[in-house]
Amino acid sequence: MRRLATSVLVGVAVALGGVFTAAPAQAQEIQLTGPLAGAPAVRKLRQYREGRFEVAPSLSFSLLDEYRRTILTGARLQYNIKDWISVGVWGAYGVINTTTDLTDQIDQTAPRNSRTATNVGKSFPDQTAKMQWVAAPQLQFAPFRGKLAIFQKVFLDTDLYLHAGLAFIGLQERGDCGDGKCSDPASFALASRTAIAPTFGLGLNFYTGDLVSIGVEYRALPFSWNRAGFDQQGGGNNGKFPDRKIDSNDRTFKFNQMISLSVGFSFPKPQVSN
Amino acid sequence: MTAACLLLPAVAFAQPKKPKGGGKPPPPPVAPAAPAGGAQEIELDEPPANPPAGTPGATPGGTDVPGSTGAPTGGICEIDPSACPKQEDIKAAAGKKLNAEIYAVPQIYALRYHRIELSPYWSFSLNDQFVSHPGPGLAANYYISNVLAIGVNGTYYGGLNVDSDFNFQNRRAARIGVPINEYLLTGNLNFTYVPVYGKFAGFGEFIFQYDAYLTGGLGALFSRPIPVIDPDNRAFKYKPFLDFNVGVGLRIFITRWLAVNLEVRDYIYNEHLENLTVAPTQQQQQDEGTWYGEHRITNDIQAQLGVSIFLPFSWEYRLPK
Repeated sequence: MRRLATSVLVGVAVALGGVFTAAPAQAQEIQLTGPLAGAPAVRKLRQYREGRFEVAPSLSFSLLDEYRRTILTGARLQYNIKDWISVGVWGAYGVINTTTDLTDQIDQTAPRNSRTATNVGKSFPDQTAKMQWVAAPQLQFAPFRGKLAIFQKVFLDTDLYLHAGLAFIGLQERGDCGDGKCSDPASFALASRTAIAPTFGLGLNFYTGDLVSIGVEYRALPFSWNRAGFDQQGGGNNGKFPDRKIDSNDRTFKFNQMISLSVGFSFPKPQVSN
Repeated sequence: MTAACLLLPAVAFAQPKKPKGGGKPPPPPVAPAAPAGGAQEIELDEPPANPPAGTPGATPGGTDVPGSTGAPTGGICEIDPSACPKQEDIKAAAGKKLNAEIYAVPQIYALRYHRIELSPYWSFSLNDQFVSHPGPGLAANYYISNVLAIGVNGTYYGGLNVDSDFNFQNRRAARIGVPINEYLLTGNLNFTYVPVYGKFAGFGEFIFQYDAYLTGGLGALFSRPIPVIDPDNRAFKYKPFLDFNVGVGLRIFITRWLAVNLEVRDYIYNEHLENLTVAPTQQQQQDEGTWYGEHRITNDIQAQLGVSIFLPFSWEYRLPK
């Protein structure tokens, strides 16, 4: 195994060495002379963003969920100040919440006894947390603009953007309960809470015409929440042991992620740059 | 006069802008006289002389072929007889075969055709909350055409699998053991198809090329269970499993031979899990035949981030730019 690992490392080192030693020769290829010297990279660019409003209904799917998946419907409302910067808000509501295989397995196989009394209720799926809604005022930056060819038949204008903002997330999470009361079946009920978290990601827009675009977007929403409704932390010398209570100490960090598909409608008509 | 008509429009482009109000334009400048000697002096105000006998383009009757107006024309044949088109040249030009095909698409920035792509990468597992499977890998592809390649890739995970804290929390809270597995390595034979390519302008200042590809193939994945249910007696060995993989990737070219690539690939195989029950006797517990439980189709989704190095580094285009 060690020999194989050594071989791989040597191979990578040789490849990287080749990359860095040969780089200067390639730099000559992009030196432009003649009438194009000093010219801008793009002329007559259709400015699909600048000065336009966009309404983009979206369908979002949560990714890598441990206990419960969520599908959200919503929309992005946006005004594009320049071709490269926009301000807007994205909002969505969770219309479908389904349990994962792990949730079903725990529900079917976990013993209900004194050791699990504070953690696993009669119906485990009913105690797992849900993401109900999200509202995120945000900025969007579109530094990359280009085009693509699909099967050398379909040609689309496209842009790649980054977005960042502050998200308000409506959650349903197991409510707080005190020492000795968390075995009560009523303590497994969900309570509403609003979490505030940063949100950021990136996306691609494909412009099918002056009015309509199709979008694919990745979004991260990192924050802490008690997704299983377990008593996991708060006790012991370092606070990492169960304390027979359900409270904010039991929330664990999760890098929540989702992917969205959208259809954007923009108006008025786009301008063309010089 | 014909010579004057031929020259006048050309000179008019050099005139200063007309004054507003429609003033009379200034008289056109007279063409400078050619020096005597090597070239004959041309006087535009006098009638042209008859062309010399035997001059190409002149007929015995004294008329030029192109106009055939019956009057001397003062055309290119008089100014420079050597440049006068010959009848046989025109015939030859008219009969010349032309290639009417026009190549409107510029040359592809980074050709893949008949090139080898070497791609060292780092792989991350995306869908396993219990055990993460990171590891280095290497892919090599040969492009049969500009859009289709055949190749191999391998990833090494040995010693890098990480049993997550999430796994521990579930075991402790719900008192259940979830069977988990770790990987040693994978090796696959793949086909790659590149249906999408394009370019982006970054900040309106520079342009870079990219392509998106689909990949798929089959190979082997070496896996074994991590003993969770009866770790005192069970010591599993790695076994190979047939796997099928499908994936998509994005490649951004930095130069014509160097690119950064990101690929998401799903390795699908039939995992053999640890037995959730423990045999009643010590002898049976140490029997390897009692250690394994059910088979389960498993999706090992990996994100692979790496660089692509295309060999040879340069090439010649079939058609000029």
